[in-house]
Amino acid sequence: MLNGLNIEGTTPLHRMSVRMKLAILLVCGLALYAVSSFFVLVPAFVIAAVIYFTTGLAFREAVSRLKPILFTILILLIATAYLTSIREAAESFFRLMAIVLFAGAVTATTATGAFIDEITRLLQPLDRLGLVRAADVGLAFGLVLRFVPDIFNHYQSIREAHRARGLKVRPLTILAPLIILTLKDADTIAMAIDARGFRRPRERLR
Amino acid sequence: MTTRDLVLIALFTAIIVVLGLIPPVTLGFIPVPITAQSMGVMLAGCIIGAKRGALAYVLLVLLVAIGLPVLSGGRGGLAIIQGPTGGFVLGWIVATFVTGLIAERLVKEGQSEVRQFAGFFIASVIGGIGVLYAIGMPWVTAVTGTPLSAVATGSLAFIPGDIVKAVIATLAARAVLAGYPLLHARA
Repeated sequence: MLNGLNIEGTTPLHRMSVRMKLAILLVCGLALYAVSSFFVLVPAFVIAAVIYFTTGLAFREAVSRLKPILFTILILLIATAYLTSIREAAESFFRLMAIVLFAGAVTATTATGAFIDEITRLLQPLDRLGLVRAADVGLAFGLVLRFVPDIFNHYQSIREAHRARGLKVRPLTILAPLIILTLKDADTIAMAIDARGFRRPRERLR
Repeated sequence: MTTRDLVLIALFTAIIVVLGLIPPVTLGFIPVPITAQSMGVMLAGCIIGAKRGALAYVLLVLLVAIGLPVLSGGRGGLAIIQGPTGGFVLGWIVATFVTGLIAERLVKEGQSEVRQFAGFFIASVIGGIGVLYAIGMPWVTAVTGTPLSAVATGSLAFIPGDIVKAVIATLAARAVLAGYPLLHARA
C-alpha cells in the first residue's frame, strides 16, 4: 500500500550519499533565490530536467508525478504575470521548476530506508543532549507503515456497516468510530513494545 | 514521553495517511472538493492535544520528505515541500500545535456539550484556518512572487470548505472526547 517513490538504479545520484544529496538540494535551492538572471536560471532548469528524466523513472510516471505541482505553479504564475510582470513570472517559473525537478530526482533515487537511517544519524547529537531519542523516530516510522493497512481495513468495515444499515457514507459518521477504534489499541501496542524491551530506559543507554 | 504517547502519535499519523485514501466529497455550494485528509490538523489538535498532535505532523512531514506517497492523491516527495505550497505542509505542524493549545485550554471534561462544541470550533478555526493560512500564504508569495493580496483573494475560494471542515472536526472531536478521552491525558 505504501511503496516509496524511489526506483532502483545505478546512476551517480543513486550512488551519492543521502546527506550529500540533501545538502546539494538545500544549497542549490537557496542559491537560486539569490539570482534573477536568465543565464543562470534557464541552464539550471535544463540541467535539473535532464537529471530528473535520466533517473530511470518511466517517462509517463515521471510526467504524472509533476502534474499536480506544475498545475499549482502555472496558476500562481499566470496571476503573477498579470499582476506584476511577465519577466518576473518567467524567472519564478524556471527557478521553481529547477528546484522541483531536482527535488523529484532526489526522491526518485533515494530508498526509504536510507532516508530513515540518515534522519536517525542526524538526530544523534540531539539524542546525546537528551532532547529526543533517535531510535524512537525509526520505531515511529515502523509503527505508521505497520498500521496504515490495518486502519484502512477499519475504514472499510465501518463503510460496509454503514451500507448494511442503509446509511450514507459521510466523513462525519466515519471519523469518530475510525479514530476511537484505532486509538483504543494504543495501550495494548504500547504494552507489547515495552514487553519486548524495544525502548530501553535512558539510564542504561548512558 | 511514554511509549503510549509514541504509539498514539504514530497511530494518529497513520490515521491521517488513511484519510488521504478516502475519496474526496463535493458539496453543492462549495467550489473545491473536500478531502478528509485536510481535516487532519484540526482533528489531531483537538483529539490528542498540542504536543502529540504537532509531533504526529512532524512524523507526517518526514514521511512526505522521504518520498512516501502519504498525501491525498498519492502525492509525496521533497518536491512537495520545496514547491509553492510547501508553507502549508510545514505550517500543519504549527497549526496543529496552536489548535491543540486552544482546545486544551477551552475544553474540559464535564463541561456542557455546547461549551465543548464551541471550544473545539474556536480552536479549529484559529489554528486550522488562521494559523495555517498565516504561514502558507506568505510562503507562496515568497516562492512565486505572486502578490500577497492576490494569494489571499485566491485563498477565499477555500474558506467555505474550511468552515465546513471545522464543523465536522468539532463534531468528531467531541464524539471522541465522549467515547475515549485523550486530550487531557498529558503528553
